[in-house]
Amino acid sequence: MPKYAMVIDQRRCVACMACVVSCKKENEVPPEHFRTRVLEMVEGEFPKLRMELRSELCNHCDNPPCVANCPTGASYKREEDGLVLLKKYRCVGCKACLAACPYDARYINPDKGFADKCTFCEHRIKEGKEPACVATCIGKSRIFGDMDDAKSPVRVALQGAHAEVLLKHAGTQPRVYYIKKFSKPE
Amino acid sequence: MAIDLTRRKFLKISGAATVGATVALNLPDNFLLWAEEAGLVKATYVPTYCEICFWKCGAIAKVINGRVVKLEGNPAHPNSRGKLCARGSGGMGLLYDPDRIKTPLIREGKRGEGKYRKASWEEALAMVAEKMNKIKQKYGPQSMALFSHGCPTDHFLPLFSAYGSQNIGMPSFAQCRGPRDVGFELTFGENPGSPERVDMVNSKVVVLLGSHLGENMHNSQVQDFSEAVSRGAKFIVADPRFSIAAGKAHTWLPIRPGTDMALLLAWTNIIIKEGLYDKEYVHSHTNGFRELAASVREYTPEWAEQETDIPAAQIIETARLIGKNAPAVCIHPGRHTTWYGDDVQRTRAIAILTALLGSWGRPGGIFLATNATMPKLPAKPYPVIPTPPLNRGDFKFAGAEGVTQVIRTATLTGKPYPIKGWFVSGTNLMKALPNQQATLDAINKLDLLVVVDVMPYDTAMLADVILPECSYLERHDTLVVGKGKMMNVSIRQPVVPPLYESKPAWWIAKELAKRVGAGEYFPWNTYEDKMKSQCALWGVNYEELKNKGVVAFPDTAAPYFTATNPPEFKTESKKIELYSKELKEAGFDPLPRYVKHPQPAAGQFRLLYGRSPVHTFSRTTNNPELHELYPENEVWVNSKQAKALGLKNGDYAVLVNQDGVKSSKVRVKATERIREDSVYLVHGFGTTSKELKRAYRRGADDQGLVTRYAVDPICGSTGMRVNFVKLVKEA
Amino acid sequence: MELTVTGTNAITSPFLHAWDWRVALYLFLGGMAAGLAVMSSILRLKNAGKSAEGESASFWGPLWVPIILSFGMLFIFWDLDRKLNVYWLYLTFKPFSPMSWGSWGLLLFFPVCALNALVTMPGEYRHWLRFDVLRTLVDRLQPHKRLLAILNFVFGIFVGLYTGVLLSAFVARPFWHSALLPLLCLVSALTAGAAFMAIIAKRKAVKLFFTKVNVSIVIAELIVMVLFSIGLATSQGGAVMPSFSFILEYLLYGMAIALVAKLLLVTDERSDALPDRAVLLMQVSAAMVLAGGLMFRISLVYAGQLSHLV
Ligand SMILES: Nc1nc2c(c(=O)[nH]1)N[C@H]1C(S)=C(S)[C@@H](COP(=O)(O)OP(=O)(O)OC[C@H]3O[C@@H](n4cnc5c(=O)[nH]c(N)nc54)[C@H](O)[C@@H]3O)O[C@H]1N2
Ligand SMILES: Nc1nc2c(c(=O)[nH]1)N[C@H]1C(S)=C(S)[C@@H](COP(=O)(O)OP(=O)(O)OC[C@H]3O[C@@H](n4cnc5c(=O)[nH]c(N)nc54)[C@H](O)[C@@H]3O)O[C@H]1N2
Ligand code: SF4
Ligand code: SF4
Ligand code: SF4
Ligand code: SF4
Ligand code: SF4
Ligand SMILES: [Mo]
Repeated sequence: MPKYAMVIDQRRCVACMACVVSCKKENEVPPEHFRTRVLEMVEGEFPKLRMELRSELCNHCDNPPCVANCPTGASYKREEDGLVLLKKYRCVGCKACLAACPYDARYINPDKGFADKCTFCEHRIKEGKEPACVATCIGKSRIFGDMDDAKSPVRVALQGAHAEVLLKHAGTQPRVYYIKKFSKPE
Repeated sequence: MAIDLTRRKFLKISGAATVGATVALNLPDNFLLWAEEAGLVKATYVPTYCEICFWKCGAIAKVINGRVVKLEGNPAHPNSRGKLCARGSGGMGLLYDPDRIKTPLIREGKRGEGKYRKASWEEALAMVAEKMNKIKQKYGPQSMALFSHGCPTDHFLPLFSAYGSQNIGMPSFAQCRGPRDVGFELTFGENPGSPERVDMVNSKVVVLLGSHLGENMHNSQVQDFSEAVSRGAKFIVADPRFSIAAGKAHTWLPIRPGTDMALLLAWTNIIIKEGLYDKEYVHSHTNGFRELAASVREYTPEWAEQETDIPAAQIIETARLIGKNAPAVCIHPGRHTTWYGDDVQRTRAIAILTALLGSWGRPGGIFLATNATMPKLPAKPYPVIPTPPLNRGDFKFAGAEGVTQVIRTATLTGKPYPIKGWFVSGTNLMKALPNQQATLDAINKLDLLVVVDVMPYDTAMLADVILPECSYLERHDTLVVGKGKMMNVSIRQPVVPPLYESKPAWWIAKELAKRVGAGEYFPWNTYEDKMKSQCALWGVNYEELKNKGVVAFPDTAAPYFTATNPPEFKTESKKIELYSKELKEAGFDPLPRYVKHPQPAAGQFRLLYGRSPVHTFSRTTNNPELHELYPENEVWVNSKQAKALGLKNGDYAVLVNQDGVKSSKVRVKATERIREDSVYLVHGFGTTSKELKRAYRRGADDQGLVTRYAVDPICGSTGMRVNFVKLVKEA
Repeated sequence: MELTVTGTNAITSPFLHAWDWRVALYLFLGGMAAGLAVMSSILRLKNAGKSAEGESASFWGPLWVPIILSFGMLFIFWDLDRKLNVYWLYLTFKPFSPMSWGSWGLLLFFPVCALNALVTMPGEYRHWLRFDVLRTLVDRLQPHKRLLAILNFVFGIFVGLYTGVLLSAFVARPFWHSALLPLLCLVSALTAGAAFMAIIAKRKAVKLFFTKVNVSIVIAELIVMVLFSIGLATSQGGAVMPSFSFILEYLLYGMAIALVAKLLLVTDERSDALPDRAVLLMQVSAAMVLAGGLMFRISLVYAGQLSHLV
């Protein structure tokens, strides 16, 4: 049973948005809607500044409030690999999952009305490919793999690195890990 | 926005009140979902290369039911390595942009009025040919000029050579890489190439002057940048703005704009004084070290501090960092280097420093191009034209791509001889050239302005005849022979047939050639025929190329100097020219010297510009896939200055330059990320073409404010960062 | 800090607006129906049913419950973006989803309150029952009248709490994520129910009774509201306080209480002999409580969406 996860090495991100566009095209995300985003944060005062770049997506939480709150079972956590997925045919568009997700990872498809979000490109992993955003990540900031496999890119990336998850206190147990390091103001 | 959404939903609900309608709408949808899952929908994958910018990344188009649904990087291609940038990924936005030029158009109203009527290709081509023939008769063929950029050039250049004009102008020289290439050619005998041969992945220290990698999104170069960062290379970034690259840097030097030369000369001085240069390399391979050492002696760190606004201690510290890590140091040669008018000399200073560090031809510096070449197809020689071309002006060191604005001046003055027709393809001159008024005035003097374009951008909307080229995803183009570490050949081929009545440039060129009596220079039937002959000549399997998109020749790589690949310089003296005799003889400084540039007066800012990672110049501003990521540019202004001017983040303001030219309104980005003496715009916005529904008047046009420019006397390039603006709140 | 985000969705950025006034109305009407169920049952159960005698509200109260509930459900249905899949709510039960509890709960509550209304139907309206089955059903249920009233009461409490549990379950929205919210929503539901009863009651004594009940619950609600606000101020939910407050509700409730206080001053013990002016005061104050309840739900729904776990 693979345990899929992503590592975002923020040191490598260049805020190029390749992931954003590629994800949209791979997954037919409608105009003005997104499954992933990129944050640029700058702190300090000129000229002592530091920058943090961070891409965000669904965390495929191990304790996913979106799934708990979904009244129809449309949102579910797939047992064999832990992906948090969506059965569109079941979704009523009640938006409870949107309200429940602390990461604002979801949106409602404007034409069809169902909730939608990142699937870790489940259809591509099935074919042995990397998720679209990972495949095109210019900075190789997005790293994907199986946490149970010591040789997988995610495990290699995490080795000796200090990784954090977003909003740990939300208790969601995310599967997207962030390695961050600020640029030093000098 | 909240209200909007709700209203939209409300309308939808009341509209589709009947359950039946909803069911009917849902069924085909579910069917498609199911069909896709069941594997009934088959995608085909067609390799080609990208043209959203000039990096020419290998791409693979995923096509379903005749529609391009996705573009991915070709893993076998060295410029993309399986990845496309945001712009390349959004390429189908150009293909499916509803605002595309769909048929040939002939102007009906006055120039600039934007009134056109549809025409057949037959009529439009006949009209262009007739006017070209008339100009040739009356003034001679050299009175037709070609402005071109990107792949269309490969088709129209032969047309012009055959027609009899050498007057070509590409913005890639005088508005872009010109000074850098000249500066390096004068020093090393060759330029750093495009893609630049920067060996950042092996560098210990990388210096970026401007070069805003990450925002400047040249694919493989940014991949290398990120790799270098992660391998722990120390970046020294001199930029008046806290760029993305500055955010990754070991040291950010918020340099006073226009003073990079002072920094470079001070560094050189320190490195020589402290003996940090590569003595062996300098001794064996360079000329004029003694003169150099003498000439930089006056450029002390304390002096440089006054000029650059960077503390002397920091200048010394960075110089040592650079010196101690030589030769694995890459001083990036830059790309857009037309800044202040002394740009050849500034890139000379970069080249000289590179030589002192022994970085040229060494790992972590500038690697060497493959020496391999591809033979040319035998072809009928072009006619010899008695009148010399005027496109290099009086600039001794102007490159073969021509000096665009010189042609413009000749058009305006009629000297040394009249220019009566412009043929423009793949460049939006109104946005590319400084001083828009001059461009407009010149266009108004023309007998003929033809524009070949995919989209109705500003310059097209001034044309007498607009010819719709199909997008890069619908056509064949020249085979690209890439020369990075090794040689490779890439193919562009249609991934879908052309939409509307658009046609590929090769077809337009060939058809026009027929009509201007140059048909014999296009002896092949289709462009594919030509490519097949080329492949046969080069020993490339055409079918394999078609299937893979790129064929590489690994044994042609020789990136570093080795015993078997000894240093060889293509200069006159066969050595690296620290001291340039060539320049001296032409009446220029043989060694770079500091020249002070005017700084903004109180209440004024220097206008700086650059790139957004999701746009290419003006050409993507209307692309729906990219527009949604960055619909309009913002003017960056230091937050203290913004506060003093009563401007808040997100307010609209207008920029007014020293000549009273006003920009259209633009949002303010009040930020700590820029010096107080400068403002910054992403280039390419604020189009005046009403045909561009999304981009029309969104954001401010930096070029509109660049009414002044500083011409580099050595090569004719136009320094464009010499304009000063005021910021006025938009009522 | 300077923050630029590329790739945000309008529905979650800059703040969540998944839900609008339709959900607020749903919660308000659902709460009111619940409160009404509780209050009408109280009327029927109090004094072993004596208080209900001669009071038409003892039938109209229960009857309004399913009607108001239907309207409430209509609004939540309206809010669903994929209505055709609504049956999936009833092919699943998700123990950790308040919305699942709610849809099932309402599904059970509906027949209970409907039957409760039927059995309380006075003889003069019997001819409304068109079908024999209904008539026999009503006859058969007559002995269980009290049980139905109790069930109605219990479900009323459940649904009243539910309108708060639904929102308080979201850890992601600190403004809602408070243990006090279900209680607050319950008391709000009860005030709405009591106010509704006060309005429709014919007998002045009954009116006065529900007015008095209302005042005590409103006071209780105000206390809970203050506690809730204190809780907010010390949690992340407080972040939305500058752009949101319960001021309007305090105002409406305060005025309602003031009116009632004035009313109580003019009232003597024989409440059935109240002057018309006093009746008017009661009607107005009850209407204000309803308005306050509606405002409360609207602010709750919108404000919660402004808050975000950080
Ligand atoms: N996304 C994207 N990428 C592109 C392109 C595009 O259109 N879009 N175009 C491509 C092309 S053709 C080119 S030529 C390149 C251009 O890209 P570069 O060669 O990187 O251009 P520069 O002008 O060097 O860099 C602009 C930066 O210079 C800084 N700057 C301004 N004035 C000064 C100064 O006086 N000194 C110093 N040290 N810095 C200064 C600005 O703040 C800005 O950060 O980009 C290429 N890449
Ligand atoms: N103020 C200012 N001026 C600048 C710059 C700056 O940063 N600021 N940058 C300078 C630099 S570095 C450069 S390289 C130049 C770039 O200058 P240009 O190359 O002129 O760039 P664009 O503005 O993108 O204009 C490209 C035009 O080509 C069209 N086009 C796109 N694809 C095709 C195609 O496949 N076929 C045909 N026929 N047409 C096509 C587009 O629709 C558009 O009209 O600008 C220079 N000028
Ligand atoms: S990130 Fe949000 S949508 Fe994704 S699993 Fe976690 S709670 Fe659910
Ligand atoms: S919107 Fe769909 S997926 Fe989300 S909670 Fe409701 S039914 Fe579940
Ligand atoms: S994994 Fe796939 S769906 Fe998720 S953000 Fe990346 S590309 Fe989008
Ligand atoms: S593609 Fe990679 S480097 Fe580029 S913005 Fe996305 S995460 Fe960052
Ligand atoms: S860098 Fe981006 S836009 Fe330029 S050719 Fe490559 S993929 Fe296309
Ligand atoms: Mo350029």
